[in-house]
Amino acid sequence: MNSCMTAKPGLTHRVFSCLLSVLFAGYVLNALADEQPAFSLHGFGTLGAVRTNSDEVEFVRDLSQPYGASRSWDARVDSVLGVQASWRISPQMEAVVQAVSRYHYDKTFTPEISWAYLKYEPSPNLSLRAGRLGTEFFMLSDSRLVGYSYLTVRPPGDFFWSLPFYSINGADVALTLPLGDHLLRGKLFYGISDEKIPFVDKQWDLAGSRMVGGYLDYQAGGWQFRASYANLLFKNDIPIEGLLQAFPSIAQQSAAYLTMNNTRTHYYSLGAVYDSGPWQLQLMLNHVVQGSRAFESSNSGYALAGYRIGPVTPYFGYSWVFSKSHESSLNPLTARLTAKTHLDQKTTILGARWDVARNIALKAQWDGIHGEPTSVLPYRWEQPGWGGSMDVFSLTMDFVF
Amino acid sequence: MSLKRIRYLLAIVLLALPSLPAWAELVVVVNTRCGVAAMSRNEVINIFFGRNRQFFNGIEAQPVDMLDTHPDRARFYQALVGKDLADINAYWSRQVFSGRTHQPAKTATAEEVIKWVTSHPGGIGFIDLAKADARVRIVYELKPAVIDEPKRMKIEP
Repeated sequence: MNSCMTAKPGLTHRVFSCLLSVLFAGYVLNALADEQPAFSLHGFGTLGAVRTNSDEVEFVRDLSQPYGASRSWDARVDSVLGVQASWRISPQMEAVVQAVSRYHYDKTFTPEISWAYLKYEPSPNLSLRAGRLGTEFFMLSDSRLVGYSYLTVRPPGDFFWSLPFYSINGADVALTLPLGDHLLRGKLFYGISDEKIPFVDKQWDLAGSRMVGGYLDYQAGGWQFRASYANLLFKNDIPIEGLLQAFPSIAQQSAAYLTMNNTRTHYYSLGAVYDSGPWQLQLMLNHVVQGSRAFESSNSGYALAGYRIGPVTPYFGYSWVFSKSHESSLNPLTARLTAKTHLDQKTTILGARWDVARNIALKAQWDGIHGEPTSVLPYRWEQPGWGGSMDVFSLTMDFVF
Repeated sequence: MSLKRIRYLLAIVLLALPSLPAWAELVVVVNTRCGVAAMSRNEVINIFFGRNRQFFNGIEAQPVDMLDTHPDRARFYQALVGKDLADINAYWSRQVFSGRTHQPAKTATAEEVIKWVTSHPGGIGFIDLAKADARVRIVYELKPAVIDEPKRMKIEP
């Protein structure tokens, strides 16, 4: 726990200490507790191994990871362990802390506090949360790390690679409105990031970047439809001073041209999910409009279908992502740096989930990525000769406890 | 095995089929004072999946589930949404670890379900039809997912 706190000082630390004191208060007030235990401890995890058939790039789960897999099996990409403690302080009030250890920006598995919030429910269908919260830019994005909760080995990369944002310090409000026996649900969130994203051999500090967003969700029997919107107002520039210094005459104007400071990126998405009987179907689309010239705006989506046969659920999916190249750039240097954020590829996904025992699932998956050689944003350390296509083989064991 | 013998065995199996009562009916029961008389399948799903926490009249729903070890749990979700327990547990892991909603309390026996339902104003649970008595009110009957379901006697509560 100490390492979590030293690794993430500042607001997180304060939120965490505050929650600890509330938790203690909850313990004292335990007399209020109903038959349900006031305190509960749960966890989730994945042991994973992944390899590709290419040495020209390193395959990562998303851009929060600095190194990834190539021709030899790699256990860092998908392995994760999370522990969640929750305390029901009163029927309306709950405190939750979740710590996660996964391979991330600083090349370590140093645990981080991914969630630490107080939830207050003034009425059964209205919830208010404040503290450290998972981001829900797109459907299912706040449970991306809980492999046991979904069908595939990992959320389709073409859709989620560009989303290395996991937690914000802020608040959200969620409301459910029954319409006959259908449900309309909405959520609004606001928060400030303190995460870091690896950038070449440096780290891009997102601290101070503000996120705001929300969604509307309609549930009709086994069908669920969602439209969501979020935006991110960046605070800090990408750490490219080192790269620019080699070209002193154009360094300053290039830095100004590629600035992220005070630029706003917009995330739009639509999702439809059918989950009933043996079928699980998902269709998701997103549209990302970048505010800075450092990145390219993109469109992406995926379709996924799974059908359960006994304990095994084979699945098939197809995902895609395309970004729009900037028509012109300030100079060849900025053009070259922006080209590093290009995306143009499609992926065929084939795999199976085997629910081998209670709360344990084994998965095997093949991803056939077909892209242009220019499609490099999703990967790390691309080498000359990268052709844009490769096969990815994954094996995981997911569990919850 | 002679053809005659196979026919004989087949006849026995066919005769036995309609009288197989292994899949007795499960019913959803509520507290008799909660003001709910009947529910639709979607309403039952919404409450047991934690999506809706209120009955139509605004009273807070307080669902009670059963432990995985009790056969009624698998039967209930199979009949309600056609899902295996692994799917149900995967669903709940998504809810719990994203802090959306917490899982209902779980009990080990039908008698404990009845106790929960009668002691909570918005109590709602599922039990075998044969165990439902005047202490609770049946608001939904789950038909087992069987094609050409044999007709059986209705027991009026």
